[in-house]
Parts: sequence; C-alpha cells; structure tokens
Amino acid sequence: MANIKVVHYINQFFAQIGGEEKADYPVELRKGEVVGPGMALTQNFKGEAEIIATIICGDSYFNENIDKAKAEILDMVKEQAPDVFIAGPAFNAGRYGVACGTIAAAVQEELGIPSLTGMYVENPGADMFKNQVYMVATKNSAAGMRDAVKKMAPLALKLAKGEPIGASCQEGYMPNGVRVNFFEEERGSKRAVDMLIKKLADKPFTTEFPMPDFDRVEPNPAVKDLAHAKIALVTSGGIVPKGNPDHIESSSASHYGEYDITGVMDLTEDTYETAHGGYDPVYANEDADRVLPVDVLRDMEKEGIIGELHHLFYTTTGNGTAVASAKAFADEFSQKLKADGVDAVILTST
Amino acid sequence: MRLELGHIYIKDIQFASESKIENGVLYVSEEAVKAVALEDEKIKSVSFDIAKPGESVRITPVKDVIEPRVKVEGRGGIFPGVIAKVDTVGSGKTYALKGMAVVTAGKIVGFQEGIIDMTGPGADYTPFSKTLNLVMVCEPVDDIKQHDYEKAVRFAGFRVATYLGELARNLTPDETKVYETCGIKEGIEKYPDLPRVAYVQMLQSQGLLHDTYVYGVDAKKIVPTILSPTEVMDGAIVSGNCVSACDKNPTYVHENNPVVEDMFAQHGKAFNFVAHIITNENVYLADKMRSSDWTAKLCRMLDLDGVIVSQEGFGNPDTDLIMNCKKIEAEGVKTVIITDEYAGRDGKSQSLADSDPAADAVVTGGNANQVIILPKLDKVIGTLDYVTKIAGASEETLHEDGSLEVELQVLTGATNETGFNRLSAR
Amino acid sequence: MQDGYIVLTNNPLVFEKLHSTHELIYREVSYEDILKEARDMIHQGHQLLTHPLSGSVKPNETPYKSMLLSKSKGRMDQASVRLIEYALDACKKFHFRGDQFQSDVYEDFQMIDWTLLESGMTSADVWR
Repeated sequence: MANIKVVHYINQFFAQIGGEEKADYPVELRKGEVVGPGMALTQNFKGEAEIIATIICGDSYFNENIDKAKAEILDMVKEQAPDVFIAGPAFNAGRYGVACGTIAAAVQEELGIPSLTGMYVENPGADMFKNQVYMVATKNSAAGMRDAVKKMAPLALKLAKGEPIGASCQEGYMPNGVRVNFFEEERGSKRAVDMLIKKLADKPFTTEFPMPDFDRVEPNPAVKDLAHAKIALVTSGGIVPKGNPDHIESSSASHYGEYDITGVMDLTEDTYETAHGGYDPVYANEDADRVLPVDVLRDMEKEGIIGELHHLFYTTTGNGTAVASAKAFADEFSQKLKADGVDAVILTST
Repeated sequence: MRLELGHIYIKDIQFASESKIENGVLYVSEEAVKAVALEDEKIKSVSFDIAKPGESVRITPVKDVIEPRVKVEGRGGIFPGVIAKVDTVGSGKTYALKGMAVVTAGKIVGFQEGIIDMTGPGADYTPFSKTLNLVMVCEPVDDIKQHDYEKAVRFAGFRVATYLGELARNLTPDETKVYETCGIKEGIEKYPDLPRVAYVQMLQSQGLLHDTYVYGVDAKKIVPTILSPTEVMDGAIVSGNCVSACDKNPTYVHENNPVVEDMFAQHGKAFNFVAHIITNENVYLADKMRSSDWTAKLCRMLDLDGVIVSQEGFGNPDTDLIMNCKKIEAEGVKTVIITDEYAGRDGKSQSLADSDPAADAVVTGGNANQVIILPKLDKVIGTLDYVTKIAGASEETLHEDGSLEVELQVLTGATNETGFNRLSAR
Repeated sequence: MQDGYIVLTNNPLVFEKLHSTHELIYREVSYEDILKEARDMIHQGHQLLTHPLSGSVKPNETPYKSMLLSKSKGRMDQASVRLIEYALDACKKFHFRGDQFQSDVYEDFQMIDWTLLESGMTSADVWR
C-alpha cells in the first residue's frame, strides 16, 4: 500500500532522450510516469512509496535558464504536492549535479517539501549544496546506480515520514556540517586502537571528526618595488556601485562583480554600498572606503608610494558563499588580473 | 611489570548486620560503612543506599564513582599516596569487585552536576547504570569551605571502597587477567618487528573541583612522566574532579582505563605497548607549552611509532590536546586522539575550541550538547534541588510531568574522552 | 622572560582579593563582554597568559571569567588571537542561564573562577 508520494527529477540523458546534443531539452512534466532511475527507486521503496510524476530537464537548458527553469519546476512540484522530492542521482555529471542540488535545495526551502539528491563527492554540485539538502554519496559513474538508490530510497522514506535522520555514516549522506550522535559497535578506546593500527601500517582510515578545512595559501614574496607596482583591490566585503547593478546576493553569492573605478577618488554614500548580509552595513554604506580603501590608495598613488591603482576591482560577498564558488571566482578573475599586468592584490574582508 | 587482576563478580548488594562477600553477594553493614565514612570529622552525616540496574532510580549530584579493589600480593596498596602509603604499585596481584561501584554524591557547590539514571533513556548514556551502586550521600559540618568538603567526600569514598575491597582479600577470583609490560631493552628484544606505542593521558588539573591526583600529588604540579600501564589498576590516579559530568574521568575510569585495556589486548600482537605517559591540562599557557613539549620529548626518547592521546574536560583542554597532537606528530610519531564535542544543540557549531590539520585521526565520544528527555523516576538518591542548576540544564528543564529536558553533558560519563562508551557522532 | 601580568576580570571576588596588590582591570560586564575586552587588549599587543576557557563550568552558565594578560605589549600574538576567537565562538554554543541561579550559587561561581585564576597565578608567579 503505497501512500508516500514522490516527485522525481532527472536530466535528458537518464530520461533516454539523448546525450549532449539534447541537453537543451526544456522542462517537461510526465504525470504518473516512472522514468529511468525511477524504476530502481520504486523497487527500493518496497511498496511504501510511489513516484507520482517525473520531471525531466536538459542540463544546458537548466543551467542557461536557471531562474526560468527553477520557477517552472517549482510550479510543477507544488502542483503535484509530493511528500518528498528526489533529484538524480547525478554521479559525476557536473551540470546535472549542480541542477540536482539547485532544484532540491529550492524545493525544500521554498516549498517546504523534504528533498534529497545524490552524486559523486567530487561533483561540483556536492560542495555547493551538501549542507543545504541531504546528499547521498554515490560512485562516480552510473554503474553505481544500484548502490545509490539503495541508500536514497530508505532515506527518502524517512524524510517523508518525518523520522529522525541518523548520522551521515549510517544513512549514507555526505557530512553536512551537522553533528549527529549515534552508538557505534565498539567502544571509543577500541576504535582508537584500531585506527592507530591502520595509521601505523599506512592503511586508509576514517577520522570520526574531520578538522575544519584548512586551505592555507603560502604568501607570495613581498613586492620589491612598490613605487612602480600596479595594485588591485579585491574584496569579499560586498562593496558594489549603489543599487547593486549585478544583483550580487547578500549571502551564498553565485557570482562576483567587476567594476571600473577609473577617476574615482573616493567611495561615497551616494555612489557605493555593500551587498553583504552578514554584518551591520551601516558603516560600510556610510563610507565604503572602510571596506575597499580606494581613497587611501589614491593618496598613495599621488604620493608615489605605489605605482598605480588598477582601474578594475573585483567583489563578492563572503557571507556563506561556498568555498568551491569562491575558488571558481578567483580562478577566473586572477587570470584577468594577470592579463592586465597587476603586480599585487590587496584582499579585504569584513 | 606484571599484574594479575582477579575479578570477583558481584551479582547483588544487600544491607546486612555483617559485611562480607558470599556467593557473589556483597553484604554491607550500614553501621560499619557509616563509621568508615565518618572517620573524618568534617563529615557530619552520611546515608547509604543501593541502586541496581533497571530500577527506577536517579542518583544526583554525583561526585565520584569508585570500584573497590584490594592488593593481595606485591608492593603497595590500593590508592597509593592517598589511602595506602606511598609505594610503587602495578605489580603482584590485585582483586577487583566487578559489576559494582561506590558512588559518592553530595552538593559541594550550588551548580554541581552529575546524574546517573538506572533506567530509561538516560541509562543508555551513562555507563554507571550497568553497575550495582552503593551510593553514599555525605553532609558536611556547618560552614565548611568548599575545598574542604570536596576533599572530605573524595577521601570518604576511597575509604569506603577500600573497606569493601578488603572483604575480598581471601576469596578466589572468578576470573584472572594478566597484564605485563617489559623494560625498554627487553621489549625491543622480545618484539623486534612490532611498532612501539604508548598511551598519552591528559589529566584534568585546573583548580578546585578540576583536579586529579597521581600517587597523591596534585597533577597541576607534575611535569609529564611515565607510568607502567598497570599502575592505574591499583588506583595510582584518582579523581578530585566533579565539574563537566559527561567528560570527566571518575576514579572508576582511571582504575578501568579502557585505552590501557584495549592497548593491552594488542600488546605483543599488533604492537608493543611500551608505556603510559601522563600529562596535565593547566590553565597557564606556558604550562601547556612545557607539558606538551615534554610529552613529545618523551615520545621521541622512547622511540615510539605511535600514540593514543585521551582528553578530559571541555574548552581549555582542547588546546592541550591539539598542542600534544601537533608536537608528537612533528616528532614523526603517529597519533590518534580521543575527544568529545560541543557542537551546540543543533549540532552545527564548531565542536572543539582548537584545531590543527595534524589531528587527522580523531575518535569522538559524541556531542555533549545533544538534548535528551529524562522521564520522572520513582526514587531520587541525593537531591533534585540542584538538577535545574547543573550544566546543560536550562530553565525549561523541569517539565510539568516531572520529566527533565537536559543536555547529555549532565549525565555522568556520557561522552567520556578515554573512549569508555560506544557513543560517537558524525 | 616575562615582565608581569595584568588581571582582567568581571568577578567581584577577584577584585576584592587582588585590587590592592595586583595590576587589575575590573569590569562589571558579562562573560562574553569580558572576553571581548581581552580580545581588544590582544589586538593592542597584550599576550594571553591563561586559557580563556579555563574551567569546565560552561560559558553562559557561570557569569564570571578572569584571565591573565601580559603587562607588556608587543606585536599582536597570533596564538592569543586564535584562542580568544575560539572562546568567543564557544559562547554561542551554550544556552544562556547566567541569571537563573540563587544568590549563593553566584558565590560558588565566583569562588571557582577565583581558584582557576589562582592556579594560573601560581604558575605565573614563578617568573616574578
């Protein structure tokens, strides 16, 4: 007796419509149809749940029309009113992973319907969304479908029933920054001895508490000739031209801005502001130089302490922005800075 | 050093006119144990009670838990420098009363903590719901200072445990375990191909209610040193610590240190268990530097390949743990650390108050902030007056139906950082 | 070598015991605010000499905190910054209950904080 209703999201490939050449396939709702991986999911529901509709969308279509696609899908899910929403699994398909993460997070947040997805841990969608929705760790290819649905189906049932969700290692989802207690088979001291034996033998072991991510960057050697150096400003403090023309998000930024400050000597209350939602913006809005010190660098330019201030600055909001996104932004604009002959960058935060 | 540890299984405890152990039943003369407790004039009165696994009983506020033992052969006596005279222990023959414990309770300070539930969900978390407990609640004389009261209760517990242990002196153990370590040279010759490992135990040592004693010496005042792992089995380390109920080490945990036991289980097989290194967790940062320098130095001098480091307490000791780990790893010694977490009620906060990439092998005793509902139990030994004031208890603590909403941190031993329990977190 | 220390505290008992014999900054502020005061001093170049999370009594449970900081100022000490930031972070993890005790309990909190500080001073005084 199936009483839990599921809506399932998949891409054009898993719907057997086609590969890359069909990636622009628009959003399609198939009511009452179970498609592709939906079959395996249904089997693993063991009669407790049924897929009442499948939503199919091409990966390019989704990623190139993200707002439109998201709105269309949300409308469809809302109308179907399922108990749980499942996207994927996406394995190692990057754009599919990002689509699954985006839409699962949106369904959960905007419609309040519990959602989950699954993908390979190195899929870019994993880092972006694993802390927002339950994300089952899968193998890196569709050959891992059987394992993936074996974990996703029971987790979906638990979510639909509102049952407590166990620790990540029990349920198979990726660690999501929420620590959950559970009882191990062995006591802690025995686990420590076993871990030590593995570590001594250089065998792989899994720490029970990964230390916070330390991504330390060795500083470059000091700039020798500051007086002839071209200095650029980059900030995660969210300073943007008044009105935030590129709509940089106040948190979890999805993009960065590039703005020309040719001839700008001072950032004023009328011309610049912060888009950042993670700190009291009053002082930054009063005088954005407090976060992005254009005024001081113009003085130094005049005094000959630095060669020149680069005419473009790069900005985003650091507030809750995924490390993977921040890295991607920097990878891109660092190339531009290098191409523009910038010698050094002053990076300001808040 | 070689120690034979004889296990005497206690299946029941009963009050009786004469104290004795017969057919696995511990008969306790209330009069006799009261007299032992009241030897200290700072204790005005004491009451004894028995709590058995499965009974609807809550014990609180717990100060210490002690396993009665007696030294039947070899040098020294149980609790050297505290009850027995100072002499090196850890060799010969010792009997332990298994399956039971002496639990001391009493309000030393107004915010004291420590709950043992003998049944219900709380019992799943505290290891002392599984022991037959002889509970003693000590009332001090009027106008006593807290540190005198703490000391009086601490010693009263050891005296009573020693008295009970003596009852087993002429019995035949139900089971005997043998623990043996070798000298440095002997070990190298005997186990030439096995990695050399040690246990580094951090002892709580910050001040009143936060102290530990080694052969009677306040651990604040020690520099890191080496014990034979069998010494703790004779009570070489005792607890003077009664804050942070979930992750302090009661004396029972020192006597039955699970890291020592589980390392012995692999001694001569997966590795050579060379030594038990002890260090402290002082408040003063330069002391931390010195102590962690020394533990790393000792690891190097002992030519170790690996160590397990255990922690005790919250906050300040996280810094010692990370310093020890970092410096020992820097000596090329592979390190596994055991800790617990304060990740907030929602599990989303940063668990530790310090961190380092060198700490890549961590065992956790779970998130002490996890909320648990403890149902009303029929009987309270001690007093509930202070339950609403113990760490992790909040104003909504006491529900109308008599149940308590608390964090795991109030339960004695719940997130123990020597790996005493199966609780973990991811 | 060290050239002495400053006691930073919000504990009236510590003030009472030490104000006539020690260099002491006493503020009638919350646990978190006295940590912030320490942070500001660290930013100015003072070095933390005792651990800001001394004691197992949790932040937001005890209202009192006393610390030792170096009298002299130097370059900002990174280790001190890290410790104080972690300590401030830890305040957020515990439900605030600092105002829910009977008055005699506050005396116990003051006394415990004092003994923790005292154990640090015993170590610090070795240098004097």
